[in-house]
Amino acid sequence: MKVDRRSFLGLGLGAVAGVAVSPVGIKLTDDSSIWTQNWPWTPVPIDGEVTYENSVCSLCPGSCGLSIRKIDDRPVKIEGLAEHPVNDGGACLHGIAGLQYLYDPARVKTPLKKNGDKFEKISWDDAIALVAGKLVDIRKSGSPEKLACIADKEQGSVSGLFQRLLKTFGSPNFYTMPSLESYLEVTAEALHGEGMTIGFDLENSDFVLSFGAGIIEGWGSPVNCFKANASRRARHAKLYQIESRLSNTAANADKWIPIKPGTEADLALGICAVILKNNLFNGGATANFRGGFNKLAIMIQKDYAPSKTAEITGVKASDIEKIATLFAKAKMPVAVFGKGRGDGAQSLKELAAVHTLNCLVDNINKEGGAFVQPQSEYLEFPDESMDSIADAGFSKNKAGRYVNQLIEKVNESSKPVVEALFVYNANPCYSLHDSKSVKQAIGKIPFVVSFSSFLDETAKEADIILPSHTFLERLEDVPSCAGLAKSVVGLTKPVIDPVFDTKHAGDAVILIAKALEGSIAQNFEWETYDECLESVAGGIWDSLSEDGYAIISEGAPSGSVAVNVSFLADNPATIQAQGDYELTLIPIDNMRLINAGIAASPFAIKTVSDKVLKGSDIVVEINPLTAKGLKDRGYATLTTPMGTARVMINLNEGMMPGIIGMVEGLGHTFDNKYVSNKGINVNDLIGPVIESGSGLDAAFGIKVKISKA
Amino acid sequence: MKQNNNKAHKFGMVIDLDKCTGCGSCMVSCMSENNVPFKEDESNKKDSITWMSVYKLTNGKSFPDTQIVYMPRPCQHCGGKGDHGHSPCVSVCPAVATDYGYDTGIVSQIYTRCFGCRYCMGACPYHARYFNWWDPKWPEGMENYLSPDVSPRMRGVVEKCSFCYHRYQAARDIAYYEGRDDIEEHEYQTACTTACPAGAIVFGDLNNPAHQVHQIVKPDPHPDPRNKHVVGKSRNPKVFRLLERLGTNPKIYYLSEREWVRKAGDNYLDGEWDKIKNYHGATLSND
Amino acid sequence: MDSALIPEGAKRCSFPKFAIGIAIVSAVVLWGVFAMFLCWFKGLNQTNMNDYYGFALWIWADLAVIAVGGGAFFTGLLRYIFKIDELKNIINFAVIIGFICYSSALLILAIDIGQPLRGWFIFWHANVHSMLTEVAFCLSAYFAVLTIEFIPNILENRQANKVPFFHHLAHNMHGVMAVFAATGAFLSFFHQGSLGGVAGVLYGRPFAVREGLLIWPWTFFLFTWSAAAFGPCFTLLVTKITETVTGKKLVKDNVVHLLAKISGWMIVTYIIAKIIDTIYWALVTAPSLGFTLSHFYSNNGFYGYWILITEIVLCGVVPGAILIMKSTRENPRLRLIAIILGVIGVCLNRWVMVLQIMAVPVMSFDTWALYFPSWQEIATTILPVAYGIILIAVAYRYLPVFPQEQELNTIEPVAEAE
Ligand SMILES: Nc1nc2c(c(=O)[nH]1)N[C@H]1C(S)=C(S)[C@@H](COP(=O)(O)OP(=O)(O)OC[C@H]3O[C@@H](n4cnc5c(=O)[nH]c(N)nc54)[C@H](O)[C@@H]3O)O[C@H]1N2
Ligand SMILES: Nc1nc2c(c(=O)[nH]1)N[C@H]1C(S)=C(S)[C@@H](COP(=O)(O)OP(=O)(O)OC[C@H]3O[C@@H](n4cnc5c(=O)[nH]c(N)nc54)[C@H](O)[C@@H]3O)O[C@H]1N2
Ligand code: SF4
Ligand code: SF4
Ligand code: SF4
Ligand code: SF4
Ligand code: SF4
Repeated sequence: MKVDRRSFLGLGLGAVAGVAVSPVGIKLTDDSSIWTQNWPWTPVPIDGEVTYENSVCSLCPGSCGLSIRKIDDRPVKIEGLAEHPVNDGGACLHGIAGLQYLYDPARVKTPLKKNGDKFEKISWDDAIALVAGKLVDIRKSGSPEKLACIADKEQGSVSGLFQRLLKTFGSPNFYTMPSLESYLEVTAEALHGEGMTIGFDLENSDFVLSFGAGIIEGWGSPVNCFKANASRRARHAKLYQIESRLSNTAANADKWIPIKPGTEADLALGICAVILKNNLFNGGATANFRGGFNKLAIMIQKDYAPSKTAEITGVKASDIEKIATLFAKAKMPVAVFGKGRGDGAQSLKELAAVHTLNCLVDNINKEGGAFVQPQSEYLEFPDESMDSIADAGFSKNKAGRYVNQLIEKVNESSKPVVEALFVYNANPCYSLHDSKSVKQAIGKIPFVVSFSSFLDETAKEADIILPSHTFLERLEDVPSCAGLAKSVVGLTKPVIDPVFDTKHAGDAVILIAKALEGSIAQNFEWETYDECLESVAGGIWDSLSEDGYAIISEGAPSGSVAVNVSFLADNPATIQAQGDYELTLIPIDNMRLINAGIAASPFAIKTVSDKVLKGSDIVVEINPLTAKGLKDRGYATLTTPMGTARVMINLNEGMMPGIIGMVEGLGHTFDNKYVSNKGINVNDLIGPVIESGSGLDAAFGIKVKISKA
Repeated sequence: MKQNNNKAHKFGMVIDLDKCTGCGSCMVSCMSENNVPFKEDESNKKDSITWMSVYKLTNGKSFPDTQIVYMPRPCQHCGGKGDHGHSPCVSVCPAVATDYGYDTGIVSQIYTRCFGCRYCMGACPYHARYFNWWDPKWPEGMENYLSPDVSPRMRGVVEKCSFCYHRYQAARDIAYYEGRDDIEEHEYQTACTTACPAGAIVFGDLNNPAHQVHQIVKPDPHPDPRNKHVVGKSRNPKVFRLLERLGTNPKIYYLSEREWVRKAGDNYLDGEWDKIKNYHGATLSND
Repeated sequence: MDSALIPEGAKRCSFPKFAIGIAIVSAVVLWGVFAMFLCWFKGLNQTNMNDYYGFALWIWADLAVIAVGGGAFFTGLLRYIFKIDELKNIINFAVIIGFICYSSALLILAIDIGQPLRGWFIFWHANVHSMLTEVAFCLSAYFAVLTIEFIPNILENRQANKVPFFHHLAHNMHGVMAVFAATGAFLSFFHQGSLGGVAGVLYGRPFAVREGLLIWPWTFFLFTWSAAAFGPCFTLLVTKITETVTGKKLVKDNVVHLLAKISGWMIVTYIIAKIIDTIYWALVTAPSLGFTLSHFYSNNGFYGYWILITEIVLCGVVPGAILIMKSTRENPRLRLIAIILGVIGVCLNRWVMVLQIMAVPVMSFDTWALYFPSWQEIATTILPVAYGIILIAVAYRYLPVFPQEQELNTIEPVAEAE
C-alpha cells in the first residue's frame, strides 16, 4: 500500500476520532484521579495484628501507666493506662507523643566519639574500652574523686548503678539535677531530719493553698494532679492560688491571689503570724516543734504582721487575715510549695515557710494533708566491697552539695576539679541558670561521657556518647518522685526492639565496671542490666513484672514527726532578683512544653499557642500598663544582667504589672527542625542566685529592662 | 446474627470547661490516633492541622479581674437546621465528599473523594476543617508509627475530626462478631476523650438515656419553641452549645458554672443575654 | 504580511507593530502560566490562602469576571429574544468578552481546586443540594453555548469564509442563534444565581446568609440581576477601551446609548432591591443571629462602612442615576464615569460576598482574618486579563467583530494609514 499524504492524514484523523469516541479518554481521566489517591509519596501504613502492651512513662517524674497499641511489631499509639494507681487512664501530651521520640531525627544512632569539632561513629566495644581506659588513668593518678556524675534523680536502679560505680571507683561526686523531689527532700531534711520526704494528699484535701505550684501546669505527677484538681468541685474542695501571673492553675482556682514575685516566703510567714496571733493553730501540733518555735513566733509577730507583710508582698492585709482563717479552719487543709512545675529554682526559706503552715495546722500525716515519711528504699543492692583507693576517694568531701555548686567550682578553680564527667538523663547545659557558664564548665572538664538518647545541648559538649535506649525500648523501674500521697514504682518495658544501635544505660555502666576489673568489677557481677534489676528489685519484682507497678506506701503514714524551725527562726533574708532594672523577668511553665533536658515533641510544639511562639520568635507576656508604648505582637529587646534577647510582645491582662513572663522549654538546639531553634532558652537570661544557709540556687527571676526593638 | 440498625445513634460530647486545663493532651492524642502530619513551623495557626483545637478565652477584664477558660473544639458534627442532617458543610459540598451519617450523627469526610474546593471550610463557622496545603511528610523512619486504621491524607484535600470513626467501626465489628445488637458505652470512646487527664470530655450516644452524655445534657427532643431550627437543646442550665442560635445543631455541648463562659458561646445583642440566660442554656428566636 | 486574513476593507496596524504588542502581553501570560504550573505541581501552598481564608483573590476574580461577563447573556437575550435589533452591532463583541470571561473562570477554577485531576468529581458525584454543583453544571454548559455563539464570528474570517461549508455553517448558525441565546440566558440565570446562592446559603456565616424564596436565598436573584445590570457596562467599557486603543469609532452612539440606558434602568432596579436586602439583613436577619451591623464593619484594619457605601451608593446609585437620565447618559465623559463606577461596583460586591465573608469573625472569641495574596495568586489573576487582551486583539484584527466599523471609518483613509 502506498502511504501518501492523503491517506496519512486520513489515517491520522481516523485514529484521533477513534480514540476520541473510545473509552480511552474516560479511562485515562479515571486513572489520573485514582493516581492522585495513591501518590507514592504519601505513606500507606501497613496493617497487621492489633495488640496492647502496658508500660510506664518516664519522660517526667510523673511515672504514668501507659497502654501501647501495636500493629504487629510496630507501636502506633500511646494512651494512659486505666486503673493504674498514678494516672488511672489519661496521659499528658508528652507521654502520648512518646513515639515521636523513638524516631526523633536528633537521636544518637550509634556510639559517637568527638574528634575536633565533629562526632565520629565508633563501635560499642571501642567506646567502652575508651571510657574504661580514661577511668583507669584517673584512678592511677590517685584522685578517683575527680570522676563525677550528673543524673536526673537519685532513685531507681540505673541511678543506683551509677552511684555504685562512683562509690566503688572512689568518688562521692554524684549529683542530681534540681527537681521537685530534691526540694521535697531538702525541705523535709531541714524541718524533719535527714532521709525524709514529703507528699501532698491533694485528692483528699478540702483546701489547697498553693504558693505558685502549677497544679495543672505539670507540677508533681501531672496527670495525678489534674485528676485531683478535676474532682475538686465535686468534693467541694477549694484551691487558692498565690502567684504573680494568671497561670492556668490560677485561672482554674477558686481564688487567685496575685503576689509580688519572690515574696511567697514572706506571705507564708505572714499567714503563720495571723494563725499564731489569732490562736488558730493546733496546740497539739506545736508540741512537735523544736529548734526555736518561740523565737520564730516572736520574730514573725515582729517582722510579718499583716500590714508589714502586705507591704512586702502586695497582698492586702485583710486578704492575708482571710486566707489564714480559711486555711486554719478548713478540715483538711494543705499548703503546697514549688513554684511552677516545682523543679525550677526555689529558696529554702520559701519551702520551709510554706511547709511550716502545714505543721502549724497539724495536717501532717493526716488524710488530705502533707505526708512526711522516710524516703522509700525499695531496691536492695548488695553491699559494696571497696578497695583502699575507693575508700580514700569516697570519704573525701563532695565538690559541692548541689550541681550548681559543682559547676561554679569547676569554673572558678584553675586546677581541674573534675577529670571525667558522666551525664545521664540530664541536660545541665540547657536546664541550669546561666547556661553559658554551665557550658563553659562542661567544656573545661577533660573527659565528658554522655549517655543521652538524643544529641542534646550537653551531649554536644561531650567527648563520647554512649546512647541509651528510649523509655519505649528498655526495661527499667520507674519510681514516682513527685510529691504524691502514695509511693508507686512502675515498670517501663521494651515495647519495640531498639530502633538504633543503642544500649541500656544500665548495661553500659555494667560493661564499664567490668572493664575496670578488680574490686569495681566484683561489684557488678550481673550479666545484664535486666538480670540486675530482677535481683535488686527482689521484694517487689513479682508485683512489678505481673502488674506493671508496685505500691510501696499508700494513705497517711502513722505517727507524728518532729518539726525543727531553727532555719526560719533566724529569719533568713528573702532572695532578691539579681540586677537593678525596674522590671522582673520570671520564667513561665507551660504544660505543652518541657523544661527538663529533653525537648517537647513535634506534636507538643504544634499545640503551643502563637502567643508563646511565633515562627522562631519567643513571645513574652506583659501587662499593658507595664508595656508602655510597646505594641501587642510588636518586637522588643529584653536586657538582663546576663544578656539580651529579641522577643515578641503579648499584652496580657493576666500579668501583674511590673513583671515580664517568658516561657521555659524553648530555644533548644537539637538537630530536629521541628522542635529546635525556636525561641530562646530563658535560662540564658537568668543567672543563679545562691541562698546563703542552704546553698540552693534560688533565682526565681531576674531584673530586666525592655525597649522597643 | 443481625446488625442492629433500627435505632439511630446520635454520638456527641459534653466538655466540662471548668475541668479543662488547656493541657493539649486531647489535641496530641487526636493527632497521634489519626495520623495527622506536622511541619517545621506550626506557629501560623491558620494553616496548622489540629482536628481538635483548644481555644483560650478571656473575660476581657483587666488585672486582677481577668479570667481565662480553655475551650476544646473538635468538629461539632452539626445536625444542621432542624437537625435534619444538612450540616453547614455537608449541604454545600458539591461532590458529596463529606456526608451526614443518619445512623450515627457523624459528619464524615472522604479524602479520596474530596477535590479540594474548600467550600465546606467557608461554610463552617467553627474553623473545624483543615486543608492539606502541603504534602504530608514524616521524618525518616517516623512513618513507622502511622496507624493503619486511618489513611494518611494527600495534599489538596480537606480533613477534620471524624469522631474517631474507625473506633466505632471496630466496636461495631466486635459486637457484630459476638452476636450483640449494639455496642456498650465504653466500647466506643474517642481518642481525645480517653486521653484527657482531667476527665473533662464525656462521649457517648445522646439518644441513649443510659449514657452519661445524655444524662448530663438532657437534650430536648423537640424543636426550641423560640427558634424552630434549634433541636436538642440542653435542659441543663449550665450546658450550652457554640453558636447555637445559628441553627447548626452541634453535637458538642459545653458545661460551665461560669456565666461569662456560657455567654461567650454565642453572640448576643445588648441586653439579650440577661433575658435568656436562665432559659436552658441560651437561644433566641430566629424568626 | 497577514493581510489576507484581515477583514476586507478594514484598516489594521502593521504586522510587526501588532506582533510586538502581542509579545509584550504574552510575557505577562507566560508569567501567569508559570505561576499556574507552580500551583499545580507544588500545590496551593504557593498561595497565601489558609484555613480561615479558603477563598482568595482569584476566586474573587472568578466571580467578578463571571459578573462582568454577564453582558454576553443579557445582550444576547435582548438581541435575539426581545429582538432589539440595534444590538446586533455589539453582540459579537459582547459574546467574545463573555467567552473570555467564562473561559478564564473555568481556568481559575482548575487552578483553585486542590486536586485538579479530580475536578470532574463535581459532575460524577454531584450533590444536588450544593450551589457549587449548580454553578459547575451551568457554567460549563454556558461556556459551551458561548463557544457556539462565537463560532459563526470566527467562520466569518475572510479565509475561512471562502470555504463553502464554513460559509453556510456560519450563516445557518446565525439563523438558529436565538435558540442558543435563549439557552444561554436560561443557564446564565441559574449560574449567576447559584453563584449568589453560594454565599447566601452559608447559614453558619451571618455576614453572608440571606433568607429567600423556596431554596433560593435573595443573593441568588441579586447576583443574576446585578450581572445583567453591570455586564453591559463592562461590554461598553471594553468597547470604549478598544476604540481608544485602535483610535477608531467602532459602534454607533445610538447603540451605545441604548445599551447604556438599559443598563441604567437595570442598575436602578437592582440597587433598589439591593438596598432593601441590605436593610432587611442589617435590621432583621443579622440581629436575629446576635449580630449588629457594626460587628461586620469595625475592629479591623480594612473593612469599614466605606466598603458598603462605596458599593451601594458610589458604585450603584450614582451610575444608575447617570445612565437613566438622557442628558447625563449622552454626555460621553459622564457616561464613561458611570460605566467605570458600575464595573467597580459589581466587582466590589463580589469581593464583599466572597472575601469579606471569610474575614468576619463568627464565634464571639474569634478575631478578624485578613490576608494578602502571594505573587503566584496575583500572577494567575492577571493571567486571564492578559489572555483576554490577546484574544480581543486577534479577534479584532482578523474577524469582522464590529459590523459598523467600515461605515464609521471610511471618511478619512489618509489619517488611518500611519
Ligand atoms: N453492615 C455491613 N454490610 C455490608 C458491608 C459492611 O461493611 N457492613 N460491606 C458491604 C460490602 S463492601 C460488600 S462487598 C458486601 C459483601 O457481602 P457478601 O457479598 O454477602 O459477602 P460475604 O458474606 O462475605 O460472602 C458471600 C457468600 O459467599 C460464600 N462463598 C465463599 N466462597 C465461595 C465460592 O467460592 N463460591 C461460592 N458460590 N460461594 C462462596 C460465603 O460462604 C458467603 O456465604 O457486604 C456489604 N454489606
Ligand atoms: N477480613 C476481611 N477483610 C476484608 C473483607 C472481609 O469481609 N473480611 N472484605 C473485603 C471487602 S469486600 C472490602 S470492600 C474491603 C473494605 O475495606 P476498607 O475499604 O478498608 O473498609 P472499612 O474497613 O470499612 O473502612 C476503611 C476506612 O475508612 C474509614 N472511614 C469510614 N468512614 C469514613 C469517612 O467518612 N471518611 C473517611 N475518610 N474515612 C472513613 C474507616 O475509619 C476505615 O479506616 O475489605 C476487604 N477485606
Ligand atoms: S505526666 Fe509525665 S509521666 Fe505522665 S504521661 Fe506525661 S510525661 Fe509521662
Ligand atoms: S463543625 Fe464545621 S465541619 Fe463540623 S459538621 Fe459543623 S459545619 Fe461541618
Ligand atoms: S473541599 Fe472537598 S469536602 Fe469540602 S466541599 Fe470541596 S469537595 Fe467537598
Ligand atoms: S473525636 Fe477523634 S477525631 Fe475527633 S477530635 Fe477527638 S480524637 Fe480527634
Ligand atoms: S485533654 Fe482535657 S484538660 Fe487537656 S485540653 Fe483537652 S479537654 Fe482540656
